[in-house]
Amino acid sequence: MEKQAGAGGAADGAGPSRKLWGSPTGGPAAGETLDSPTGSHVEWCKQLIAATISSQISGPVPSDIANRENKARRRPDFMVSKRLTAPRNLPALRYGAQVIMSQNQVPLLPGETIQTTVKDVMYICPFSGLVNGTLTITDYKLYFTTVEKESPFVLDVNLGVISRLETISVPNQGENTKGLELVCKDMRSPRFAYKTEESHPDVVELLAKHAFPLSHGLPLFAFLYKEQFPVDGWKVYDPTAEYRRQGLPNESWTISKMNSTYELCDTYPSILVIPTNITEEDIKRVAVFRAKHRIPVLSWIHPETQATIIRCSQPLVGPSDRRCKEDERFLQIIMDANAQSHKLTIFDARQSSVAVTNKAKDGGYESESFYPNVELNFLEIPNIHVMRESLRKMKDVVYPTIDEAHWHSAIDQTHWLEYIRLLLAGAAKVADKLESGKTSVVVHCSDGWDRTAQLTSLAMLMLDSHYRTLRGFQVLVEKEWISFGHKFAARVGHGDENHANSERSPLFIQFIDCVWQMTRQFPAAFEFNELFLITVLDHLYSCLFGTFLYNSEQERAAKEVQTTTVSLWSYINSQPEDFTNPFYVDYEHHVLYPLVSSRHLELWTGYYARWNPRMRPQVPVHQTLKELLFLRAELQRRVEELQRDATSHSLSSSSEHSPAHSTGTPLHTAV
Amino acid sequence: MLTGSKTTFKVRQMLPDIKERMLSQSGVNARSRDVFGLRCLPGECVLQRAVMVRKKLTAREGRGWVSGTLFCTHFRVAFLPQDSPKADDNADPVLLGDHDVALASIEKVVVVGPNRTKLVTPNSSLKFTPEELVLYCRDLRVICFLFDRLTPDAQVLEITYTIAKTYQPPKPGSVLSFQNAALGSVEMKQFLSNRRRNTHMNWFECAADWEQELERCGATGWRVSSVNDRFEMSTSLPRSIVVPQKVLDTELKKSFAHFNEGRIPRWCWRHPRGSDLLRMASFQNNIYHEKDDIRNLEMILFGCQSSLCVVVELDEELPSPADVQLAHSRLRALCLGDISTSVSVPDDKWLSTLESTRWLDYTRACLRKASEVACLLRGGHLTVALQEADDRDMSCVVSSLVQVMCDPHCRTQHGFQGLVQKEWVTAGHRFYTRINYHRDNDKEEAPVFLLFLDCVWQLLSQYPSRFQLTDDFLLALHDSIHLPLFSSFLANCQRERCKRSQNLGQSYTPVNGWRDMLHQDSSSDPSDPPLPSVWDWSLQYSKHRRDHFTQPVPPTPPLQPLLNGNLNTNPDTHRLTDTIPGSVFLLSRGSFSCPSNLLPWRSGSSGVYKKSHRRAPSSENVPGLERLLKAWALAELPHGLSATSGPQGPLDPYEPLLPLLMGPCMGLWRECYLRGALHAQAFSHPISANHPHPVERLAREVQQLKDKLAQVSSGANPNPPSKTSEPRRADTNLNQNTNNGTFLFPASKPQGAAMPRAPPPATSTNHLTSRGPPPAIAPPSRPGHKDNGGSNKHTFLFGHSSVAEARSDQRYYPAPSNAKLPKSNGSSIAS
Repeated sequence: MEKQAGAGGAADGAGPSRKLWGSPTGGPAAGETLDSPTGSHVEWCKQLIAATISSQISGPVPSDIANRENKARRRPDFMVSKRLTAPRNLPALRYGAQVIMSQNQVPLLPGETIQTTVKDVMYICPFSGLVNGTLTITDYKLYFTTVEKESPFVLDVNLGVISRLETISVPNQGENTKGLELVCKDMRSPRFAYKTEESHPDVVELLAKHAFPLSHGLPLFAFLYKEQFPVDGWKVYDPTAEYRRQGLPNESWTISKMNSTYELCDTYPSILVIPTNITEEDIKRVAVFRAKHRIPVLSWIHPETQATIIRCSQPLVGPSDRRCKEDERFLQIIMDANAQSHKLTIFDARQSSVAVTNKAKDGGYESESFYPNVELNFLEIPNIHVMRESLRKMKDVVYPTIDEAHWHSAIDQTHWLEYIRLLLAGAAKVADKLESGKTSVVVHCSDGWDRTAQLTSLAMLMLDSHYRTLRGFQVLVEKEWISFGHKFAARVGHGDENHANSERSPLFIQFIDCVWQMTRQFPAAFEFNELFLITVLDHLYSCLFGTFLYNSEQERAAKEVQTTTVSLWSYINSQPEDFTNPFYVDYEHHVLYPLVSSRHLELWTGYYARWNPRMRPQVPVHQTLKELLFLRAELQRRVEELQRDATSHSLSSSSEHSPAHSTGTPLHTAV
Repeated sequence: MLTGSKTTFKVRQMLPDIKERMLSQSGVNARSRDVFGLRCLPGECVLQRAVMVRKKLTAREGRGWVSGTLFCTHFRVAFLPQDSPKADDNADPVLLGDHDVALASIEKVVVVGPNRTKLVTPNSSLKFTPEELVLYCRDLRVICFLFDRLTPDAQVLEITYTIAKTYQPPKPGSVLSFQNAALGSVEMKQFLSNRRRNTHMNWFECAADWEQELERCGATGWRVSSVNDRFEMSTSLPRSIVVPQKVLDTELKKSFAHFNEGRIPRWCWRHPRGSDLLRMASFQNNIYHEKDDIRNLEMILFGCQSSLCVVVELDEELPSPADVQLAHSRLRALCLGDISTSVSVPDDKWLSTLESTRWLDYTRACLRKASEVACLLRGGHLTVALQEADDRDMSCVVSSLVQVMCDPHCRTQHGFQGLVQKEWVTAGHRFYTRINYHRDNDKEEAPVFLLFLDCVWQLLSQYPSRFQLTDDFLLALHDSIHLPLFSSFLANCQRERCKRSQNLGQSYTPVNGWRDMLHQDSSSDPSDPPLPSVWDWSLQYSKHRRDHFTQPVPPTPPLQPLLNGNLNTNPDTHRLTDTIPGSVFLLSRGSFSCPSNLLPWRSGSSGVYKKSHRRAPSSENVPGLERLLKAWALAELPHGLSATSGPQGPLDPYEPLLPLLMGPCMGLWRECYLRGALHAQAFSHPISANHPHPVERLAREVQQLKDKLAQVSSGANPNPPSKTSEPRRADTNLNQNTNNGTFLFPASKPQGAAMPRAPPPATSTNHLTSRGPPPAIAPPSRPGHKDNGGSNKHTFLFGHSSVAEARSDQRYYPAPSNAKLPKSNGSSIAS
C-alpha cells in the first residue's frame, strides 16, 4: 500500500507540492463513483483514461463473446472488468496525504463529519449486480465501499445531488431487509438494500436530514465547509470592472447605483447600466410597468457599433392593453443610443400563443403600434415545465439501461435536442441582429430570469471572445445568471425536500449543454474544456460551494454567502490547468455562429450517460492532442540542443542554419 | 443581377466540339499545359469558363467563400482560385485539383435563381440567369458556386448548359467516354504506363505477394498454391490461394466442386496468438462427396490447427446487399434532402429518421460480428472460417474488419491498402456490379464497400490514437469509389482484370500478368485506355491533401513480424487437449452449436466421419465450448496483469480494438454524409479560414522541427567523434521522408534509431530484445519507475501513456510535466 501510494504520487507529475493548500483535490473516486468532492472529476477523468488504456493493455474486456451488450448487460462477468480497474484506482484513494481519513478509510473534507456507518449494505448496481459493503453517511456525502480488499469498489454520492429518497422492495433478501433508492438530479438512481436493526438509527431518516438540510432546519454544507484555496473565487466578478471592460460608462450609458439597496428591484443586482438621459422618476414608473420590476438594463454593448443587448421582463400590458409612456420612451432612448440603426428588435423568448394568454394574467408583450420602429419576434421556446419534463424523459432513456435499437428515436421523443436547438437558434438570431444588423436587441420572457438569461448569455458567448476564456466564462455566469437573479435555489431545489416542486427546472443545464454544443463545433475557440462544464454542473447540485446558492443577490448578501462559504471558482482557479483546453486559440474578433440544425447537434452523452460504464470513451482524444503538444515541445528542445551542439562543434556548418527556431503557435503547452 | 433574361438558351447550341475549338486547342506535344491559367491534362479541352465565381467552402476547408474562375472541361468541372500559385509545367498531371469535381461524380445540377431553384437536365432551358450553381455529387458532396454580378450572363448560362450537357447521365457507354476523356490521350497513356507502383504496400497479385504476407503474419504450415492460376478451378478466386502445406494440389483440385463458385476455404490472416482466419463460400450439397474428398476438405478446413474449427455463419445476422442498398439510399435521401426541391426532413424528426434508415444498425451488426470473430481468434489456436453463401460481400467486410481490429499494420495507410487489395479487390468482391457504374444493373447495386468504410470510421472515431490512417483517407477512398477510372473497382474479380489487360493486346503472362499491362504500349486501342489503380493517390490528390491521409503522430510502434504466432503459446495448449481434436462448431446468432449436418457429408450415416474423428461432440458439450472460450478470456486477465505490471512490454498491440456498440456510441459520419447539408450553414462565417486547425498547425510545426532536426543533425555529421548517434538519426529521418512516415515511427521504435541510448524494451515477445543495446542507463525519471526500468522503452511521446498505465498500481497522470521529460531524454542524448 505504501508503495502504491508513493507511486501514485510520483505518477502525478504535478506532485503534492502544487496543492499546498490542499485537501479535497485528491478526491476519492473509483469504479463508477465519480462525483465525490471537488477534485474527483479530475481524478475521474484521469482514472477513466487510465482504465481504458490499461484495459486495452491487459485486456479485461468483458468476456469474449459477451461483448454484445444486449446479452451481457446484467451478467456478472462484467464485474470482472470493474474489479480489474479498481486496483488501479486504489492509489487515488491514498493520494494526497492531506485528505483526512477517518478510521474506516472514508476521506473527509475539512468540516465534514461522519454521521453513521452501516455495515452489510448491498449496493444494487444496475450494471454488475449486487455488491456487498459498508455505507458511511456524512453531512456531505454518502460513501459506499466494499469489504473485499483485492477489488475495492467505491461509490460516492454527495447528498446535494439527491432529489428524493424512495423505499423499494427487495425480494429474496430475507426479512428485515429494506431497499432504498436515491433518485438523483444528475441522471442516476443508485439503489441500496440494508438490514434494519434496532440499534441503528434509520438510514432513510438520517439521509433525509442531511440531504435536505433546509427542510430540517439545518445549514447547507457549504456553510460548514472549511477549505482554504489560494485563489479567492469571489473576486472573479466585479461588475464595475466588467462594465469598464465593455467601455462603460460612456456618453449614452451610465452605471447606476439606484438599486444599491434592492429597493427598485429585489431580484436585480445592485449595480445596473441604464441610459444616461432618463430620470429616476421615469425609471420607477417603468419598473412598475415591468413584471417583478425588472426594468430594461444593459447586458452587453458591441465595442464598435454600440448596439446593445438589453434584458428585462415582460411589460404588464394586461387585457386592456395598458400603455406606459415612460417605458415607450425608455426603449426609444435605447434605440437612439445606437447611432447605427433606427430600429430596435425585441426578442420575446416565449411562444407567441403563451405571450397572448399572458395578457389575461396581466402580463403581455410590447405592441408594435405603441412602440415605433420596434420589431417584435417570438422565439417560441417552451416554458420551464416543458423543459423539466423533457429532462425527466431523458433520464429514462439513459439510465440505467440504454435501448440500443431505438436509441435515436427515444432521444427524439424527449425533445431535449429540439429545445437545445431552439435556444441556440434564438441566441444566434440575437447575435446576428447585433453583429450584422447593428441593431440593439431587447430580450425578455415572462420574468426575465430564465429563458432571458439563457439567451443573453449564449448570445454574449457568441459575440464576445472574452467570455470564452476560463475566467470570462465565470464572469458570464456570475453576471447573467447569478447576479441577475436566476432563481437557482428554486430551480435546483438546494437542500429542499419538496422534489415535486413545480419551480424546479433544468435551465442552467440546458445552458451548459448549449455551451458544450458550441465547444463541439468550435473546438479551439473555448479556453475551458468539457471537464470544466461537468464540474460546474456537478457543483450546481452539490451545495459544497456557495456560488449557486439562493435566488438573488439580495438573498446572498443577507446570508453573507461571500464571507461564510467558498466559491466554486476558488477551486477551479486554483488548478486551472485541469480545466483548460490545450488547443485554445483566441478567435478574438470572430463571432461564433453555431450550426443549429439537429444534424449538427449531439446528445451530450459524456454528461447524461456517464454513469453507464459501457459508455466510457475508448481513447480520449485529448490524450492524442496532448501527446502532440508534448512531442512539439520535445522536438523543439532537441532542435535547440542539436543546434547548440552543432554550433559549438563547427562554426562553419552552423552558419548555414538559421539561428532562430520557430517560436510556435500560441497554444497552451501547459497540458 | 439581372432577373431573368428574355431569351432562352438551348443547350444544344453549345456543342462540345465547337466549344473545344473556341476555347482551347488540343496540344499534341505538351505534356500538360495551361488554358487560362488552368492546368489541363494532355488532351483535355476546356469547354467553357466563367470568371468571378465564388466557391463555397465546407467546414473542413474552413468555411466561407473563395473566389476564382470556374471551368468546364470534357472531363471535370474545375475551379481555379484567384491567387493560386502558377503550376509547375514539368509536374506530373493531376486528374483533379483540390477544388475540382469529375463530371462522372456529378449526379445532379441545380441552379438557384433570384427566387427559384431548378434542376438542369441536358435538354432543359433556363428562363432566368442563375445566381448559384449547385452540383450534387454521387459521393454525397454538394459543391456550390456563386456567380458574381460581374460575371457575364452569357458565361453563366453557357457554363451551366455545358455542365448539364457533358456530365455523365446514367446511360451505357458514358463511362467509357468519360475514361477516354480523362485518360485517352496518347500522352496520358504514356504517362500512366510509366507510373511506378507503390512498393510500400502489398498488392496480393502474385504468389510472392502472398508469401510475403505469410511471412509477415508468421504463418507457417501454409503455402501458396497456383492451382487456380488459369482461373480454371474458380473463376472468381484469385490466381494464388493459400492452403495448408500438407494438402497437395491434386487433392485440392477435388475440393473446388464442393463449394459454391468453387470458393474453397482459403487462408486470410493469422492472429499472432496462432489462430487462423479463413473464408469460404457455402457448401455444394447436390454432389456426391467421396471419402477422400471429405478428408481433403477437412484438412483444408482445419488448416494447421489440429483441434478446433469454428465456422462463422455470416448470412443470418448481417444485412444482405439489398438491405445495404436500401439503407444507403435512405441515408442519402436523408442527408441530402430531396435534391430538386430542397425539401429536407424536419429537424425534430432527424434522429428518428436516421434510425429508420437502419444504416447504423447495419454498421453495428458488422462490427459486432467482427468483434466476435476477433475475440474468438484471440483465444488462440483455432481456425475460424467465415462462411457466406457466395463469399463475396459480407465476408469481405467481416474478414477485413477483424484484421483492422486486431492487426496494427492494417491501421496504417499502406497496410489498409494492402488489406483492401487482399480481402476485396483480388478476393473477388464484385465492385463493378455493386457500384453499378453503368446504371444498368440496379438490382445488384449495393455499396457494401461503403458500409465497410463506415465501420472502419466507427473504429477510428472510437480509437483515434490507434490508427495511422485518418478519416481524410477514408473519405478520399469513399469519393474515389464513385469515379469510374480505377482498375481496382472496374472489375468483379481478378480474372476480369486479367482479361481486360489481355484485350489491350498483352500477351498472357502467368505469374504477374495483368499488373504489367501498364507497361505495355496500349495506345493502339484508343477506346480502352489503361486504368490506374486507386492507390495511385497522386493522380487525384495534391501533396497537401495526401499529407492528411496519415496522422502526424502515428500511434503504434511499427510491427515486427511474429514468427510462428507464438505470442502467447503457453497458456492455452494444455486446455486445448481437453477438447476433442477435430471438433467443428458453428457460431451463428451469437451462440455455438454443433449441428450434425454442418458439413454436408456428415448428415448421412456414413462411417467416414466416425473414422476420422473420435466422436461427435454431443450437444451437452456445446456450452462447454462457450465456457471454454470464456475461461480463456478470464484466464488472460491475470496473465495480462502480470505482464503489464512486470517489466514486460506494456501494450499488446494485437489486443483487438473492440468497439462500443451501444446506441449512443454509433456515430454518424458527418464529415462524409453531411458535407452537402448546405441549409445548415446559413450562419456560417469564415471562422477559421485564416486559422488552420490547431492540430494541423501543430502537425506542421512538428514537421518543420523534424526537417530542422534532420538538417541540423546532418549538418553536425562532419563532427562524428563526439556524437555517435547523429548520423543514425539523420538516416532515419531520410527514411521517414521516403516512406511517408513521420517522426514518431523511429522515435517509438525501441531499437533507438532516433533515441539511441534509450534502454531497450523487454517485451513479452523477445524477438525485439536481441537487437537493442543493453539497458545501460536507467533514466533519472520518477522514482516509481525505477523498479521497472525496462519498461521505459517508449520515448517521450508514449512513455507516459504506456509506462504509467502499464503498472496496475500506479495512478494515471495524463501528461508528465514539461520539466521532467526533457530531463530523462536529455540524459539519453547527452550521455
